Amino acid sequence: MEIKMVNLTKIFTSKNRKEVRAVDHVDLVIPTGKLIGLLGPSGCGKSTTLYLIAGLLRQTEGQIYFGNDEVSEMPPEQRGIGLVFQNYALYPHMTVRENILFPLQNLKVPKEDAKKQTYDMAKLVGLEELLDRKPKELSGGQQQRVAIARALVKKPRVLLLDEPLSNLDARLRLQTREEIKRIQRETGITTVFVTHDQEEAMSISDEIVVMKDGIIQQMGQPQDVYDHPNNLFVAKFLGNPQINVFDGEIVDGKVLIDGMAFAETKLPNQKIIAGIRPEGFVVDKTKKSPFKFEIDLVETIGRDTTLIIEVTAEESTLLDKKTFKAIVDAEFRIKPKDVVHFIIKSEKIHLFDLDGKLL
Amino acid sequence: MSDVFVVNEKAYRTKKILSNVILYAFLVFVAVIILIPFYWMILTSLKDANVMEEIPPLLFLTPSQWKITNYTQLFQLVMSGERRGQPLFPFFVYMKNTVIVSLITTAGTTITTVLAAYAFARLNFKGRDAIFAILLATMMVPGEIFILTNFLTVAKMGIITFEQTFYQALIAMTLPFMTSVFYTFYLRQTFKQVPNELYYAAKVDGTTDFGYLIRVMIPVAMPTIITIIILNSMGAWSAYVWPAMITMKDEYRLVSNGLRGAFTDAGTGRTDFGQQMAAATLVTLPLLILFFAFRKQIMRGVSRSGIKG
Amino acid sequence: METKNNWKAWLYLAPMLLLMSVFTFYPLINAFIISFYKGYMPLRNTVEGFTLLGNYLVILKRPEFWNAVKNTFVIAFVSVPISIFLSLLISTALKSIPKLTKFFQTIFFLPYVTNAIAVGMTFAVMFNKTYGLVNLILGWFGITAIDWIGGTSNWGTQMTALLVFTIWESLAFKILVFTSGMQNIDKQYYDAAKIDSASKWTVFRRITVPLLSPIILYISITSMIGALKAYNTVIGLFGTKMGNPSYSMITIVAFVYKFRAELASKGYYSYAAAAAIILFLITVTFSLIQGVVAKKRVHY
Repeated sequence: MEIKMVNLTKIFTSKNRKEVRAVDHVDLVIPTGKLIGLLGPSGCGKSTTLYLIAGLLRQTEGQIYFGNDEVSEMPPEQRGIGLVFQNYALYPHMTVRENILFPLQNLKVPKEDAKKQTYDMAKLVGLEELLDRKPKELSGGQQQRVAIARALVKKPRVLLLDEPLSNLDARLRLQTREEIKRIQRETGITTVFVTHDQEEAMSISDEIVVMKDGIIQQMGQPQDVYDHPNNLFVAKFLGNPQINVFDGEIVDGKVLIDGMAFAETKLPNQKIIAGIRPEGFVVDKTKKSPFKFEIDLVETIGRDTTLIIEVTAEESTLLDKKTFKAIVDAEFRIKPKDVVHFIIKSEKIHLFDLDGKLL
Repeated sequence: MSDVFVVNEKAYRTKKILSNVILYAFLVFVAVIILIPFYWMILTSLKDANVMEEIPPLLFLTPSQWKITNYTQLFQLVMSGERRGQPLFPFFVYMKNTVIVSLITTAGTTITTVLAAYAFARLNFKGRDAIFAILLATMMVPGEIFILTNFLTVAKMGIITFEQTFYQALIAMTLPFMTSVFYTFYLRQTFKQVPNELYYAAKVDGTTDFGYLIRVMIPVAMPTIITIIILNSMGAWSAYVWPAMITMKDEYRLVSNGLRGAFTDAGTGRTDFGQQMAAATLVTLPLLILFFAFRKQIMRGVSRSGIKG
Repeated sequence: METKNNWKAWLYLAPMLLLMSVFTFYPLINAFIISFYKGYMPLRNTVEGFTLLGNYLVILKRPEFWNAVKNTFVIAFVSVPISIFLSLLISTALKSIPKLTKFFQTIFFLPYVTNAIAVGMTFAVMFNKTYGLVNLILGWFGITAIDWIGGTSNWGTQMTALLVFTIWESLAFKILVFTSGMQNIDKQYYDAAKIDSASKWTVFRRITVPLLSPIILYISITSMIGALKAYNTVIGLFGTKMGNPSYSMITIVAFVYKFRAELASKGYYSYAAAAAIILFLITVTFSLIQGVVAKKRVHY
């Protein structure tokens, strides 16, 4: 079931008449059967968008379609959605079984069928042993699976998840996000989930949608968006450690940062902002490359090493920070104060104009 | 869904409006039912004897039709019967007594309650939980059981005589009510919400237990204490049985006591409703004023005592 | 670490415990003792003999006692469920309206801050056969005037009037407590229920009421205890005559007081004590029953 949002806008008016555009003229199509991550910093409008799709919030302008049906004026119970709340919202006084049964009872599903469907759903999420427990007896991860089961049992057209992993501890998060991907694959249901964790979104989404200030910044497959960010915000939001950002200029076809030519380009002369991914710095074993820097700090995580290079005040062409980072293979046993030669991969350099737009 | 209306996308909004209308209508209906007795009480008190005779009774009086004869009659002296020579309903005397009793019992209850709640909430001593459980159990016992013996106790103190002085009556009316398990329980809940760390920090700073009570606990729990004070003061207004039992002279009595029976003519058995309602209004008015002045505290305090309980 | 400050704590408790010893513990025990003795003369503090249950039997044989029990039970078992149901409904309505909630809450709370006797008298005036408001309104619907509490009234109409008054008076506290309780229920459950296609009635029955059940239980028990002790309301509505014919609307508590008033009569004080203790036992029994029922149906 494809979800289409046309010109979707939501304006909140606070008590002192201040208007907040939580969602600003959003046009978005969520393809059928895919797992889509809605990603962005706090306050970017992602949760609002989710709640608009659900019908728990009413849009100020715009329309929402599920397939060919316009659902913009429909209350939540008529849209055919399943929603997993951030805090799960499991009915505390009902057992797992009763929680999952609840929507089926409201839809007047015959008892025998309802029983079977409940059991099947519990099996799908791996909880068939815990059907008679109460929510408070379950762990966070288990509670979430109950919430998912309850959302899915009525065979909704669309599954929505609001920050599904943020209440779980780190170890559980990795486990659970795989679960979500598996369940989505098995049921084939169109799924949208909201998160502020870019790594999470990148790892399981079929496509990600990056939002900021109520506006969609970019949508696409995770790797594509990572490799080809449309603007500076997206480039900075994806990637850990964050992309390094420098002041620079284009002079005669060369990208100059701090006087050094980092790349060639056909773009006209102008002042620019250059983003270079940490993994774009490759150690030059031949030591012939012109880019050499003295390393200030070294952080190893076993698999690779992060080199932190400080830029002194005069030469500061770095925006926002005093240091930039390079990620290299751990085989190079580099120590602080070493001088290292780098080759810069040109595909890891992204050029933006001074407003942050891609050049 | 349990709707009466046809549900389609457009009707969603209409349904919302309609359900709101029904809800408001229902609540207004309930509000009217709640307010009718008050209205009737005041209305009737403003009808003089002639208007009272109208059948069916008038539902409304314009301000020019308001008569205060009922109110003035309250203070006239009674001609016959056991209360000969006394005012019919000496409201201000009763009020004065009620206020005094209220002040004394509230002061006493507040002090004993604060001390006891503190002990149960904060201090550690052997038998604490046992005593508390016993106290809680006493809340279940109907007050009538206590009254029987308390009357005898008070009598033994020599207070129930025909020469009863005002002070004696006062002691009898206040002494048994200088403490309350309910308020102790309620305040203990509030005290318990003050984090332990505060206590330890104060102790490290060299504060005594009593100092902690005065300087930390009481200020923090002040809203609850104020609620207790207000609710307790209002309680004296409803006191009926005990004052009736132990007061020997009419001028010691409280507001509730004079109400019933004062307005029925012993000879004809006819009750003067106008006077009755005037007295009822006078008695109710101070409470309403208190309520509107302290509305927030009262309602918040009562609801929280309900939840925690 | 907390030290066991034994003796100081008792100092704090002293005022309360002292007062309670004289006016609560001692009377409680004393009441039991008095009830077991025959021919107790309070003024002279003499007894005639030990009788254990003799006084109780005297009470139980009195038809007036059973009349009091009947009245009290009707009051308790009719007014309490009705007022709980009504206040739940009203609280739910209060919760569902967008504005003016505080305004209505204040109005609904008014009966709590009144004097039962003053308002009782008002209800008596309202139920008056000739001059009463109730008959006036009934007249609009073509119903002939009923003598509710007057000289020709029967038990049915008097009890109805009493029940109306009792319910009116008891709504205030319940509405306030239920409304607060409902406000403490996480709004997310209602959102989830919406998405689960629950109708308004289903939401009320399967979400609101169960989540409110600890509070409902508390109200249920305290209201029941209060209703079993009905006295001020009866005096308020009927005066010291307590109904027509006299004392036909007597409650258990009124019954106790009636005996107590007979100070000079031999042994009557013991009867009062026995009756009071019977009331106590009834109260405890019903509280326990409610507690047991609650175990199965109250969700924490």
